[in-house]
This record gives sequence, C-alpha cells and structure tokens, in this order.
Amino acid sequence: MLQIYTSGATSGSFRGGKQKKGNVTSEQEEEEQPLQAVLVADSFNRRFFPISKDQPRALLPLGNVAMIDYTLEFLTSTGVQETFVFCCWMSNKIKDHLLKSKWCRPTSPNVVHIITSDLYRSLGDVLRDVDAKNLVRNDFILVYGDVVSNIDVSQALQEHRHRRKVDKNISVMTMVFKESSPGHKTRCEEDDVIVAMDSKSKRVLHYQKTQGLKKLQFPMNIFQHGSDEFEIRHDLLDCHISICSPQVAELFTDNFDYQTRNDFVRGILVNEEILGNQIHLYVTQDGYGARVSNLQMYDSVSLDMVRRWVYPLTPEANFTDQQGQGCTHSRHNVYRGAEVSLGHGSQMEENVLIGRDTSIGANCHISNSVIGNNCTIGDNVVLDRAHMWNNVHVSSNVEIHQSVVCDGAVVKEAVRLNKQCVLAYNVVIGPNLSLPEGTVVSMHHPEEEEEDDDDEFLSDDQEVGHSKDKTRQKAFNPAEVGPEGKGYIWKASMNDTEDEELAQCLWGLVLNPDPESDSESEASEESQDRTFQLEVLGTLQRGLEENIVCDNLVLEINSLKYAYNITLKEVMQILTRVVLEYPFQQQGTQLTTLQYTGSLLPLLKTWSPVFKNYIKRAQDHLDCLSAVEELFLEQDTHQTAMVKVLMKMYQLEILEEEAILKWFSTGATNDKSRQLRKNQGVMRRMSLWRKESEEDESSEEGECGR
Amino acid sequence: MPGADKETDLTERIEAFLADLKRGGSGTGPLRGSGEMARETTYLLRRITAQARWSSAGDLMEIIRNEGRRMTAAQPSETTVGNMVRRVLKIIREEYARSRGSSEETEQQESLHKLLTAGELSEENFRQHFVHLKANVIEAINELLTELDGTTDNIAMQALEHIHSNEVIMTVGRSRTVEAFLKDAARKRKFHVIVAECAPFCQGHEMATGLSKVGIETTVIADAAIFAVMSRVNKVIIGTQTVLANGGLRAVNGTHSVALAARHHSTPLIICAPMFKLSPQFPNEEDTFHKFVSPHEVLPFTAGEILSKVNVHCPVFDYVPPELITLFISNIGGNAPSYIYRLMSELYHPEDHKL
Repeated sequence: MLQIYTSGATSGSFRGGKQKKGNVTSEQEEEEQPLQAVLVADSFNRRFFPISKDQPRALLPLGNVAMIDYTLEFLTSTGVQETFVFCCWMSNKIKDHLLKSKWCRPTSPNVVHIITSDLYRSLGDVLRDVDAKNLVRNDFILVYGDVVSNIDVSQALQEHRHRRKVDKNISVMTMVFKESSPGHKTRCEEDDVIVAMDSKSKRVLHYQKTQGLKKLQFPMNIFQHGSDEFEIRHDLLDCHISICSPQVAELFTDNFDYQTRNDFVRGILVNEEILGNQIHLYVTQDGYGARVSNLQMYDSVSLDMVRRWVYPLTPEANFTDQQGQGCTHSRHNVYRGAEVSLGHGSQMEENVLIGRDTSIGANCHISNSVIGNNCTIGDNVVLDRAHMWNNVHVSSNVEIHQSVVCDGAVVKEAVRLNKQCVLAYNVVIGPNLSLPEGTVVSMHHPEEEEEDDDDEFLSDDQEVGHSKDKTRQKAFNPAEVGPEGKGYIWKASMNDTEDEELAQCLWGLVLNPDPESDSESEASEESQDRTFQLEVLGTLQRGLEENIVCDNLVLEINSLKYAYNITLKEVMQILTRVVLEYPFQQQGTQLTTLQYTGSLLPLLKTWSPVFKNYIKRAQDHLDCLSAVEELFLEQDTHQTAMVKVLMKMYQLEILEEEAILKWFSTGATNDKSRQLRKNQGVMRRMSLWRKESEEDESSEEGECGR
Repeated sequence: MPGADKETDLTERIEAFLADLKRGGSGTGPLRGSGEMARETTYLLRRITAQARWSSAGDLMEIIRNEGRRMTAAQPSETTVGNMVRRVLKIIREEYARSRGSSEETEQQESLHKLLTAGELSEENFRQHFVHLKANVIEAINELLTELDGTTDNIAMQALEHIHSNEVIMTVGRSRTVEAFLKDAARKRKFHVIVAECAPFCQGHEMATGLSKVGIETTVIADAAIFAVMSRVNKVIIGTQTVLANGGLRAVNGTHSVALAARHHSTPLIICAPMFKLSPQFPNEEDTFHKFVSPHEVLPFTAGEILSKVNVHCPVFDYVPPELITLFISNIGGNAPSYIYRLMSELYHPEDHKL
C-alpha cells in the first residue's frame, strides 16, 4: 500500500498548496456567517425514467407535496439562511415551482437562489461551478432535491465546526447517517454501504458500497494507526446529507474526474496521508432521513411519511403554506383534504391520504395509499399501496396494487394493475385488462428514447425537443393497453436485458434480486479494466519508443490508476499481463515460443524497475505469479516459455524465491485437471531449475548484481 | 418609507412565529413551556396592535382574528396561542366600550332578550373611531403581560395550603408549574414525591432530578406501577396542557390512568393550571384534539423489518373527564371543575370562542 502514497506525492503537494489558500480565506472571515446550503435538484440518472421525462424528479409529488419542498423545509428548519438550488433537467419547471412557493416570498427566512445550466452532468460539475462562482464562504450543507428528512443537523454541524477548529481544517466533510438495521424497508440496497470508522473520533476509515456483494475486503492498514477502537458498521442508512467545508468544492475542481460523492469519499480516503484530509461521520438515532432514489424508495418513504415518521413534516401540517392544501388527520392515519367525498360502504382502512376535491365511489377498499387532488374513483375499487397523483380517473371494479399512477392517467373499467406497475402521464388503460407485474406504460414511445441512448451520460437531462420530429406516430397496441388504451408499453418493445434493467431502475434492486445485476456491474468494471490495460500498454510502448525513464513510467501508470479507480493489485496484474503480451501485440500472435522469449526477456530487463515498484510484499509476489500463470494458461502453446520468464524475473529480483516456491506448492493444487497436467510439465522443469539455482545461488546473485 | 419597512418587519416576525409553531415540539412536547408561548403570543399581538394599520376597533379585531386563525391552524394542539388571541380580543372590546362610555357590565351580559333584539349590531358598533384607543389597548395588553409573568409564582404561593408535612404526593411527567409548586412547599415542609416516568418520552426523569436537587425526597416509578403505589399516596398533583371548557383536561399521555387510579383509592386529584390554559374548546372536536408524533419513541427506527409489518402510533395527549378531578389551582385561587364555565365567561367573550 505504501506505493500509492510515495508515488502520488508530487501531485499531492500541488493540491496541498491550493488547499492552504482556502484555509487562509476561511480564517479571515468572521465566525458568524449565515449557514448556506447547496441543493442539487437533479438526480443525474434515469431511475425514474419514463416519469421524469415529463417532470423533473424533484417536483414529483410525495404525499401530494413536491419532493423539493421537503428538502427546503428540512434545510430551513435546521437554520439554513441561504440555499443555492442547482437545476439542469427541466430547470424552468423547477424555477416556476420555486418562485410560486413560500420559499421565494420576501418574508422567507431562507433565501433561495436558483442557478440553472444545461451543462451539469454530475454532482461534480455542480460543485465545480460552486467553486468557480465562489458561492460558499463557509461550511455548507449539501443535499439532493429528493431528500426527505427531519433530522436536526445542528448537532452534527457543531461537531463538524469543532473538529475543524481543533484540527486546523483537516476534516473536510461530515456525512449524516441514520441508524437502521439491515432489512429495513426504507434501506435501499443500491445505497447500502459498509463503513469502517474510528469510534472515538468518528473518522471514516473505509467506505464501500456493498452492492449485493457477499464478501467485503478491508485493507489492514486502516486499522493499524489511529486509536485502538474501531467500528465496522452495516446498520447505517445513507441520508445523503453532508456537511461540507468550502474545500470540498475546491477538491472537486482539482480532481476533474470526481463525478459523485462516492468518488469524492473514495478519493479522500485513498489520498488521506498525502492531502491530510479526513471525512467524518455523524450517526443519528432519532430523526428521519432518506433519499428517494428509486420507486422502491418512493413507495417506502411515502408510507413512512403517512405513518408520521417524518413528524413534524406530516400531511396535515401543510408546511408549504399553500392555500387549500390543508387536510385533517383522524384515526388510523387517515388524512382527508377539503371537499373529499366518500361513497357509501367505502372504507379507508389505514395510512390513507386523500387530496382535496377527490371523490370516491361506493364499496371501495383503500389502504396504505396516497391519492392526489381532483381524482375521481369509481365503485368497488381496491387500492393497496397505490400512489395516485393529481387528476387521475379510475373507473369501477379496478384493482391497483403497489403501483404509481401519474397525473392525468385514466384507468378504465375492470383493469387490474399488479405490483410495481407505472402509468406515466396521461396514459389511458383498459377496459378489461390485467397488466402484469412491473409494466411501465408511457405516452412516449420507447424507441424515440433508444436513439438518444448512445449519449454518454445517462442522465435525466437530455434534449427531448429534437427527437420530437423523429417520432413516428405508431398505433397503440390494443392487446397491451386495452381497446381504448393510449400509451406504449416500455417493457414489450425492448429486448430482454434492457427491460430487466428498466424495471430495476424504477423499483430498485430490492424487489428484483436478479443475478444479472451483479454480472452487469462486473461487466462495467471489466471494461474499465480493459481500457486501463490499453492505456498501460500505450504508456509502455511510448516509454520504449521515446526511451522514457522508468520512474516516469511509474508516475504515469499511477495517475492512470487514479483515473480509472483501479486497485493496486489489479494494476500489478494488468501490468504483468501487458508486459507478457507485449511481443504478441507487436509481432502478431503467430510467434514461435523461441521468438517470443527472445523478444520478451530484454523487455523484462528494461522494465524491471517498474515491476519492482509495484511488487513489494509477499502477497504482491503471489498476485504477480498468478497473473503470469493466468496468461500462460490462455496461451497454452507458449507454456514452455513460462519457465524462462519466471527465471528471468527471479534473476532480475522482481520475484523472490520463497514466493515462487509457495506459489508452486499452492497454485498447482488449485488448477483444473487438464491445465494441471500441462502445467506440471512446466513445473517439473521449474523445480529442476530451482534445485539448480539453489546449488549455484552465489553465482546467480553475482549475475543479478551486474 | 419607514412605514412599509415596519410592516415587512412585522410580517417577517409573524411568519417566523408561525414556522416555529409548525416545527415546535419534536415529540417531547413543546420546546418552550406554554407560559413562554403565551407571553410570546401576547408580545406579538401587542406588536400587531402597535404597528398594523387600523382605524377602528373593528378593523383591529379583524386583523387579530385573522392572524390568530393562522396561528392556531399552525399548531392546533398549542391551545395557549388561541387563548391569548381571545384574551386580547376581549381587551379590545372592553377598551372600546370604555371609550364609548358605556359600562362594561351591560356589554357583557347576555340575555335571551338581548339576543333576540340586538342581532348583529354589536359588530357594527365597533366602527367608531377613538384617538386613545390604541394607547389604551396597548396599556391593557401590558397589564396582561404582567399577569402572565406572575402566574407561576401566584400558583406556587398557594402550595403551603395544600401540602402538609410527611405527605406522599404523586405527580406524572414534567410540569414547570407543578415543579415550582412542590419546590415552594419544600421550603417549609418535608414530604415525599413519587414521579411516574411517563413513557415513552420519560419527562418524569427530568422532573425527578429537578426536585431532588432542592432536597425533596423523590422516587421515580414506571407507569405500570401507578396503581400499585396509589394506595400509599395522599394527594396527586399534576399539571396539564389545556383545561377544556367542560372542566376536563387535555394532559400528557398517562394522566387518565393516574386519575382513574386516584378515583379508585379516593385520593384527591389536584391540577395546577394557570388561567391562560383555560380554553373554550370541548373534547369532542376530534380533529385537533389529538396529536400524533413520530412513532420513533415507541418502536425505534432501528427495529428494522418489523416496522413494515406493523402500524405504530405515538399519541401525546390524554383526555381526563372532569368528574375525576377534585380541584383546580390557578393563579387566581382554587376552583372546582364545575366552576370552570364561570371563569370561561369571565375570560373570553362568547363571540370569540370560535376564531
């Protein structure tokens, strides 16, 4: 692990200089400054996709109130006096909404500035803009526009400020987490993290998203310094609320490859020793905080809100202060807005919120549902965990289970929506139809989207305008959406893998625990490894052509390592692989073994300092050997060359004798039968040679010395 | 223009107060005591009287009624706010009547004859303009403020009449008034206090530490032990959040069980409640009567999976019917529950009961 620190030192000192500048400015300013917040009103992903095509995520209603209002109320109640709202996708809608809301009234204690740009592609872009515009002067709170919370962060803020005062600005960020045991419904598996922290100072030592992994690894060195008490916690719910010092924005500017907070946290932890920056944790037990990151979370947060977990942000509190939005709260958490009519024999069982001017027919059963304003619902309707937004029309004999029905949708007679259906804006469904689980219906044709899909950034914020003219007005399929239906099914028209992905996007990983998701993430990792490998190859090639000193090569590889976020182990394995494949790359795969070794051995000699830089500990040796082994298992015609390669590496002191022996004894047992036999031919010669080497050790030592 | 400046300043203050009310009380009841809340409301109303634009008593009453409606809607469980608005409205009525020269008595008395003949006329009458009305109203509100400042002391002063040596007193949860009452008695007498902890918020613990600090012999018991301990208790002295129009209470959760246990053992139940807690509300007004807070205290969020399978409720208040109550001790003396109606008509004008 040491290598990282030494090699990054040059760039580290450069960043350190900039950081110092930040310290000076913050010290010059007075202590008492208004608390500022940066609210990112864009998700930069397509989790809510066909829905967020018509409405940005921050404005989607949760309990009949736009999500951004919850976030702003949370900020205001914690004492934030100035909020910068950054919008990208559909920024006009967000702007209009905010200008009409109570936040832009002159009496609002929280001054809201709206900053829009179409160029933001990630959280990183936003924070770089914060730095460029010099918006924050002091510690600020960073949240997304879809965070619902009632946590009082003033305690965390105090701790953060105290730490910064005591430790001279070492701590750059305090992340707020909520304690909640695994298996909690409001824990989103996508966001599941495992954190190792110092229990006394609350410093984060290791931070990793679990992403459904069964095995997790912690580098040992994190436990070797600092205090003697550590906690490894998996009972934390990421609230996506972080208290940042102004340095955070600067660090994002310095590191243009940071896109998300995750990148940032990882970057800070990896570079901790060079930059001296630390990240701390604040774990709260009371209070509620969650980010609505997918429909699964939407469903559970909405229910939590109706069950009053977010008190005092309850529906009847009307905290947005809108006229006519008030409702009453009665037993079993039933909330009714003004002018709600309920037919004879209808039952609102529990956890029901009904918006104003909604009328419900006779003999309906409603439970755990949120119904928006101006909806009409027919007779004999069963709603369970339904989320209906405004102006929805539901005819008689309809059944809806755990589904989202957006504004203006019409559900005709005798339709059944099974779990996890989504009816996007203005869709008409039915009559007499049963939508299978996970169906997504939208007025937008999925193909018009596919054309845009090549866009590098899969973000909400794409230009829809230009695709409009391309839209071929295809007929609606009556078999899919019913005889009078309007809308396209997103599932059917896509190939299998993509629809899996879509369902997963909308409802999150929890309900679709398909093995594919794992392989998918691996695949992306793989491709990243692949590009890294190509880059390393290019670097070495250039090094050879231009005769670059090995130290500089090491530097370049290290910077690549950070750019692609590759672990040290992988770097070494890829490096080994690249070097060993180098002759094939240059002269084609038709080489004979003799030619191969002939061209490879001098290369090994030239690059031995590079290897030595990466291979230091015993484990590194073994990893390197396994990489060598892997390569030769693939190139089975050249297996005889392996002995020579290993010998050369031994002579160059890249590999140690003990390591080779150890690998030989353990590696042989693990191999598969066919390869094992072939290998053993190699091994036999290896062991022969090894004995030889033992005999004239002294002479070989001398050779190496030269 | 300084006038406009003043006005925005005023609305800003009102908005801040409303926002405070909405956020007020993250479960453990209001952050401030209701005494403080009453004072703050009155300060704000005095400000409105001084700074808002009005030419006659009718205008002023309309303004105050409007703001009062918003304040009570912001946090319906905080009845003190509404009570103070009613008190100020009553003050305006009286001052207007005095300026007009008519006696207060005739203005106040309601009779069937008057109801039939007068009709809506009384509102019409407030249109007359008086120069000194503003100063007089502010003066009267100042008097009200002085009264508010003294309430706790006035109640505590009566402690020695009710608490005797070597008595065992039970109380529930934490009430600032009761705390002051007991501490006052402890200066002269020696007695034993049993505090029911009042789960899930356990304000009783705070109360017990406060009492033991001044040397009162204090025992904390679990709520479940209330009935078992009651046979040893000489008197139950509790506070309340609101005194309702029928003489019943809206008090912290668990009070009803204390009251029932006291009735079973014929132990006197004494309520320490300042006059500003008297509300013209009746217990059947369902929507605003209850207050449910986050279920966190009952079943913590960390409980995990079980939370998606059960519904958890965490109510804050209990209703205690008037027949279980022996005596009210307010800042103007002791009263029986049956006498509440009379105090009510003295404090508030009947037309202000509904804002």
